[in-house]
Amino acid sequence: MADGGQDLRAWDRAQLLALFDPATGALDRRVLSDEALYQLELERIFARGWNFMCHDSQIPEPGDYFISYIGEDQVIVVRDEEGGVNVLLNTCRHRGNALCRAEQGRAKSFVCSYHGWNYALDGRLIGVPGLKTFYHNDIDRSRLGLARARAENYLGFWFATLATDAPALRDYLGDVGRTGLGMICANGEVEVVDGVQKNVISCNWKIAVDNLFDWYHVPYSHASANTAGFLDIAAIQHPQSQMVMLGEYGHAIGGPGIPRERQDQIDAMSDEERAAASRAAPPNSPRIRPRAARDLMGPVGVRSEGHPNIFPNLWITLGGLQMCLRLPRGPSKTELWWFTFVPKGAPPALRRAMIAQANHVFGPAGILEQDDGENWSQSTRSARGFSSRGLGQYIGMGLGHDQAVAGEDGEHYIESAVGEHGQRWLYRAWTEWMAARDWTELKANHTPPPTGPV
Amino acid sequence: MAPDLTTREKLLSDRVLLQYEVEQFLYAEAALLDARQYRRWLGLLADDIHYWMPIRRTVTLADIDREFTKLGDMAYFDDDRTLLEVRVRKLEAGSAWSEDPPSRSRHFVSNVRILEIAGDEITVEACFHLYRTRLEADIDSWVGRRVDTLRRTDAGFRLAKRHLFLDQTVVQSTNMSTIF
Ligand code: FES
Ligand SMILES: [Fe+2]
Repeated sequence: MADGGQDLRAWDRAQLLALFDPATGALDRRVLSDEALYQLELERIFARGWNFMCHDSQIPEPGDYFISYIGEDQVIVVRDEEGGVNVLLNTCRHRGNALCRAEQGRAKSFVCSYHGWNYALDGRLIGVPGLKTFYHNDIDRSRLGLARARAENYLGFWFATLATDAPALRDYLGDVGRTGLGMICANGEVEVVDGVQKNVISCNWKIAVDNLFDWYHVPYSHASANTAGFLDIAAIQHPQSQMVMLGEYGHAIGGPGIPRERQDQIDAMSDEERAAASRAAPPNSPRIRPRAARDLMGPVGVRSEGHPNIFPNLWITLGGLQMCLRLPRGPSKTELWWFTFVPKGAPPALRRAMIAQANHVFGPAGILEQDDGENWSQSTRSARGFSSRGLGQYIGMGLGHDQAVAGEDGEHYIESAVGEHGQRWLYRAWTEWMAARDWTELKANHTPPPTGPV
Repeated sequence: MAPDLTTREKLLSDRVLLQYEVEQFLYAEAALLDARQYRRWLGLLADDIHYWMPIRRTVTLADIDREFTKLGDMAYFDDDRTLLEVRVRKLEAGSAWSEDPPSRSRHFVSNVRILEIAGDEITVEACFHLYRTRLEADIDSWVGRRVDTLRRTDAGFRLAKRHLFLDQTVVQSTNMSTIF
């Protein structure tokens, strides 16, 4: 059934591109409510892009699996006997039953609970009850293995795509995506903390992604966290010192940036001096990253204290402590999954402090996160009213007032006050992904990160 | 003059009295939360309270010891008194948008069983049902098992521990801005 009473109709290329106008910042609110657009997103955004699955440390041993999603396609992420990672659609090739019902676990093989077909950890169909008696040996098992997604990892973070023509993960991530994952590992190799918080919000997934670039909402949405003495918003927002990095295919980072002069001072410091300065800094200030961070994040990226988003739906937050995946569940429903990382072998006190911060700030009971969901669901809800929908979203902040510059390693970034460059980049990329029928078209017809007035 | 109680009757009457005291405390505490009397609710907490809700997962029977996350790992709540005071100040701030306009909540406590008495501490297991409605038509219904520790003081019981085991894996709510 169409959401909001709209007709299920096909969208052509010109109509898709017209849904967002980067010259004015006008976004058509049907992107938040239309069922046909949503179905097209599952195909052209989620099945086509590289989707975050899980971290190496969640499935360390052969047979360890974790259930994740590519859009609404449920997948099994499993380590095989050779140590490789397979991403398999969790649907039996016989009648479609789910092979795994648990959200994590360990398996020797996957036996279907319906009629007992048995699949190896790499998805091969290795057992069919009644193969001789009922099937008369007349079945091509080689064609009935579990459907596989392409799986690749960067720094131990596993991603998967259902597009055979997608670029390699490293190229897909580009400098911005690599900076984002590098932010998590900037203080050394990490491991996941046990437990993925999951909850569901009645909002379109893009509203949640839009919000991660939004440093404008912080003093208003989260005023009560400030009043309650939980944190000092003025000390974290840095409204005049923002840096937005724009990457190919829609990746972006937005939020506070370390001014270049300050970074020059940091670059001259040894790791010991950085650690000492971090200890002397006021509580809640970001730790000064060690020298090695520059290799992981690049000379521009290392200056970011902001929020990366790996297109389409992977937010990296709290200086790389957490990731939040926004999984689409219909035009007006999104599931949020929170992953938390600490340095491998972190001293117990540091580990405790990091986990406490993650538990207290984000997740459905988080002192900050509590207040976001209702704003997102009400913003989504208004896209269902006939006239409210017609008004459009206004994403025009800073438009035409700032300059994008190219960094020494080819990064594209904007230094300015709080603005909406990240959001415009997101929606612009979204229209281009939606309009392209395959990777060849997307590669040929996407806007490269800009230089000059933006 | 009342007839002498047998030993068995005496034991039973002590247990009934304690059960009554414990239940009345839990009901009064629930009533304070439903009436949004958060300051008065804070008054019922011990200074060393641990308020915790681990993450629950769908796992196979073979893996059932991993159903809940362990102490020290990720959780929905892992609060000490300081953080619960933050939550209350936030609720009172007038800008906690997820609770202003305020939610309507009803805390049900049932199946109350005293598990252990150790000195001045009583461990109590109960089932909870927290029903919350918000705005026009949002409904949250949280059910689970709860293990509380009540500590006897001169001023009455104080809540020293509340561990909440929710019967949901993907939390079916926009937020958990209510106190359980
Ligand atoms: S559906 Fe899996 S064996 Fe029949
Ligand atoms: Fe927020």
